[in-house]
Amino acid sequence: MEKKNFLQRTFTGRRGRRLKEYLTAYLFIAPASILIFVFGIFPVFFALYVSLHRWRIVRSDMIGLTNYVNAVGNLAYVVAFFLGLGALVGVYFLIRRVLQIKREHQDRPWLTIVPGLAFAAMIFSFLNWFYRALPEVLDIAFKVRGLERDEIVFAELLGEALRAESVLPAWRTFLLALLATLALSVLALHFWRSRNNLKHQAYFSMGFTLLGIGIGLLAFTLQEVNAAYAAALAEGTDPGIWPQVITISSGLILFAAGWLIWRRAEKQTSDGLFWLHALGAMVLLVGGWLLIGELPAVIAAGDKKIWDGLKVTVYFSLGTVPLQLVISLFLSVLLFQKLVGSNVFRIIYFIPYVTPSIASAAVFQQMFSNRQTAPVNMFLRSLGLPPQQWLFEPRGIITIIGDLIGFSVPSWAAGPSLAMVVIILHSIWTFVGYNTVIYLAGLGNIPKELNDSAEVDGANGWQVFRHITFPLLSPTTYFLSLIGIIGTFKAFNTIWIFRSNLALGTTDTFSLVIFIEFFEKLRYGYASAMAFVLFGIILTLTLINNRIQGSRVFYG
Amino acid sequence: MDNRHKRRKGFSYASRRKIFIYIVLSLGAFISLIPFIWMISTSLMSLGEALGTAFFPSELHFENYAEAWRRAQFSEYFINSILITLITLAGEITFSIFAAYAFARMEFPGRDLIFGVMLSTIMIPAMVLIIPNFLTVTWLGRIGPIPWINNWPALTIPFMGSIFSIFLLKQFFAQVPDELFDAAQIDGAGHLRFLFQVVLPLSKAPLMVILVLSFIGTWNSLAWPMLVTNTPDWRPISVGLMNFVDEAGQLVNLTMAGAFITIIPILVIYFFTQRQFTDSIARSGLKG
Repeated sequence: MEKKNFLQRTFTGRRGRRLKEYLTAYLFIAPASILIFVFGIFPVFFALYVSLHRWRIVRSDMIGLTNYVNAVGNLAYVVAFFLGLGALVGVYFLIRRVLQIKREHQDRPWLTIVPGLAFAAMIFSFLNWFYRALPEVLDIAFKVRGLERDEIVFAELLGEALRAESVLPAWRTFLLALLATLALSVLALHFWRSRNNLKHQAYFSMGFTLLGIGIGLLAFTLQEVNAAYAAALAEGTDPGIWPQVITISSGLILFAAGWLIWRRAEKQTSDGLFWLHALGAMVLLVGGWLLIGELPAVIAAGDKKIWDGLKVTVYFSLGTVPLQLVISLFLSVLLFQKLVGSNVFRIIYFIPYVTPSIASAAVFQQMFSNRQTAPVNMFLRSLGLPPQQWLFEPRGIITIIGDLIGFSVPSWAAGPSLAMVVIILHSIWTFVGYNTVIYLAGLGNIPKELNDSAEVDGANGWQVFRHITFPLLSPTTYFLSLIGIIGTFKAFNTIWIFRSNLALGTTDTFSLVIFIEFFEKLRYGYASAMAFVLFGIILTLTLINNRIQGSRVFYG
Repeated sequence: MDNRHKRRKGFSYASRRKIFIYIVLSLGAFISLIPFIWMISTSLMSLGEALGTAFFPSELHFENYAEAWRRAQFSEYFINSILITLITLAGEITFSIFAAYAFARMEFPGRDLIFGVMLSTIMIPAMVLIIPNFLTVTWLGRIGPIPWINNWPALTIPFMGSIFSIFLLKQFFAQVPDELFDAAQIDGAGHLRFLFQVVLPLSKAPLMVILVLSFIGTWNSLAWPMLVTNTPDWRPISVGLMNFVDEAGQLVNLTMAGAFITIIPILVIYFFTQRQFTDSIARSGLKG
C-alpha cells in the first residue's frame, strides 16, 4: 500500500474533503475581505483612536473626550453616559434571554459563564494591545525615513515596535486569554452536555463584553467629567456640568417613559384606562420637554459650524427627497402606460444620473451664473423678475421672495440660501431618473388583477392610484427615501464644485464641514470626532426609519 | 347609433389623455436634456457670444474643443483616469467574483457572520473613513517598497474590495440552479471550473452593471484623489476638470467644451449598455 504524506492524509476522506472546501472558500474570500477589513472596518477603530487625541497631521497628546466636547458641548458627556447605560441595558436583556431559554429547555447554563468571561477578557486584552501597539506601529513611518526601502528593514522595525516594552506584555496577555477562551469553550462543550451550550456561551460572551464596555464607558465618562470640573474650578468658573447632565438625562428618561406609556395607551381596551395612560404619557412628555429645554443652551457651547452644517443638511434632505419622489412617481405612472416611445423617455430620464456629477455641476454653475445674460437670469428677466446672484447668494430663498413681494421675513424662517437652492435643483435633476426606474420596477411588481378588479368595481383612476397603487408601492417609496436621505448626508462632489466663499458657508453640509476641518484646517482629531457625531446622527435616523417602516410600510 | 356615438367619445377621451401624457413626458425629457443642449451649444460659440444672450451659436467654433483639451491638459488626465479605472476594475471584479462565489455557493464556518460584518460597513459614512484611510495610505507608502501618495496604489487598491459588487454578484450566483453544480461535479469539475465555465458566462448582466457603476464611481471621485495626489502625475479627470473650471471659469465656452469632453466616454458606455443597465439597477434596488 502506498504511503501517504501528511498533506495527502489531511485532505482525503470525508473530513479531509470538507477541510479542503473550507480552505478553498477562505482563500476565495481572502483578498476582498482583507481589503474591506483594512479600508472599511479597521478605520472605524482608528478614527475613534484619532478622535481621542489632539492630532494635527501628527499625533499629539491623548485628550479624552475634549474633541467631542468642543464639537457638541456637554452633550458629549450625556451621550457617552447613555451609551454606557445602553450597554448595561443590553446585558439585562441578554440575561433575561438566557433565563428564558433555561426555563423552556430545563437547562443549566451557569457553567458556560466561565468561557464567556474568558471571551470578554480576550476582547479587552486585544483592545488593550491594539491601543498600545498602534502608536508604536505608526511611528515606524518616521523611523524608516532616510533608510533603504526594503522589506527586511520594515520587518525588523515592525518586530521592534511589537516587542516594545509597553506592547509585548499586552500581547502575551491577549494570547493567554485567547488560549484560555478556546480551551474553556471546548472543555465546556465536551463535559457540559446540553443542547444550548454554544448558544449560552455566545450569550455570556456577549454579555460580559457589553458589561465591560458599559462599566468602562461609565467610569471613563465620570473621570472625564471630574477632570473637566476640576479644570473649570481651578479657573474659577462654574462649569455646571453635573446639573446639565442630570437635567438632560432625566429629561430623556422621562421622554422614554412617556413614549412607553403612550405605546401602552394605544393597546388599552377601555376608554378610562386609555385616557389615564394618555394623560400620564402627556405629563411625562411635557416634563421631559421642559427638562430637555436645557439642551439648546448646552449645545450652544459647542461648535456653531456643526449645527449650521446640520441645518444645511436638513434643508438639503427636505428640499430634495420629497420633491424628487413626487416627480418620479408621477413620471413613472405615466411611463407605465406603455405608450409608443416610453422606452426612449426612460433612457433620456436616466442620462443625468450617469453623467459625471462634476461635469453636470460645471454646467449648472454656468446656467445659474450671476451674469445678467446667463440662461436662468434671462428666463427670470423674461418673466419680469430681477436677476439673482444664485450660487453667490447667502440670503435665504424665503427672505428673497419676501423682499420681492414686499414682506419682511423673520430670520428663523429664511429657509435654505439661494445658493443651496441651486444645489437642491441639481440634485433633483440628477436623481429623478434613478427614482423613476426603481418606481417603474415597483409598478411592474403590482399584480394587474388588483387594478382590473378595482376598475370593475367602479373605481376611477385616481381612486385606484390612491388606494391600491400607492400603498403597494410603499416599500419602494421607503427604500428610495432612505437612499435619498443617506445620499444627501453623503453628498460631497457637487457641493464642493458649487461652493463659493461669497455664499458664506450656507451650502456647507455636515460632510463638507468635516472635510474642510480635515483638509484645510488639518485638525484630524477634531474632524474625526465630528465624523462620529455624523455617524451617530445617521445611525439614529436609520433606527427611527426602521421603526417607521415596521409600522407604516405595507408589504402586500 | 347611440353605441357608435359613445365609442367615438371614448376614443377622443383616450387620445386627449395620450396627448396630455406625451406633453408631460416631453416636458420632463426637455428639462433632463436642456443642460446638455445648452452645454453643447455654448461650447461651440465664440467667447463673446457665450457671454451674450444667444442660445444657438451663429457659427460653429469646433476649435474650442482643441483649445480646452490643450489648456486643461486633458490628454494627461484622461490617461490617468483610464489607468486608474482599469486597475481598480481588474482588482475589484476579480476579488468580488471569488468572494461572491464563496459566499453564494460554498459552506464554511463563519460565512454569514463574515458577510454580515462586511455588509454592515455600508452604513459607515465616508467622512469617518477618509481620515484614518488617509493616514493608513500615507503610512503604507512610507514603509513599503513603493510610494502610495501621488501614485496608483492609493487611488486604486482601497477600492478593490467592494461589498456592493460582492452583494450584487452573490445575489446572482445564488440563483444559478443547484442541478448545474451537481452535473458539473459528476463530470469531475471543481469549484474553479464550475465558476469559470458555468457561472460566469451566465452572469454577464451583473458584471456589466458592476463595470459601469465602478467606472462612473472612479470617473466621479473627487475628495479622495484631491487628498492623495498633489501633482498632476496621477490626478484623474475629475480633479482636472475641477481645476480647469476654477482657472478658466470665465471662459464659458471652453469650460463647457471641457465638461462635454469628460462626459463623452460615460455617455457612450451608457448608450451601449442601457438596457441591462436600467434593468439591473431596478432589480438590485428592489432587493437591496
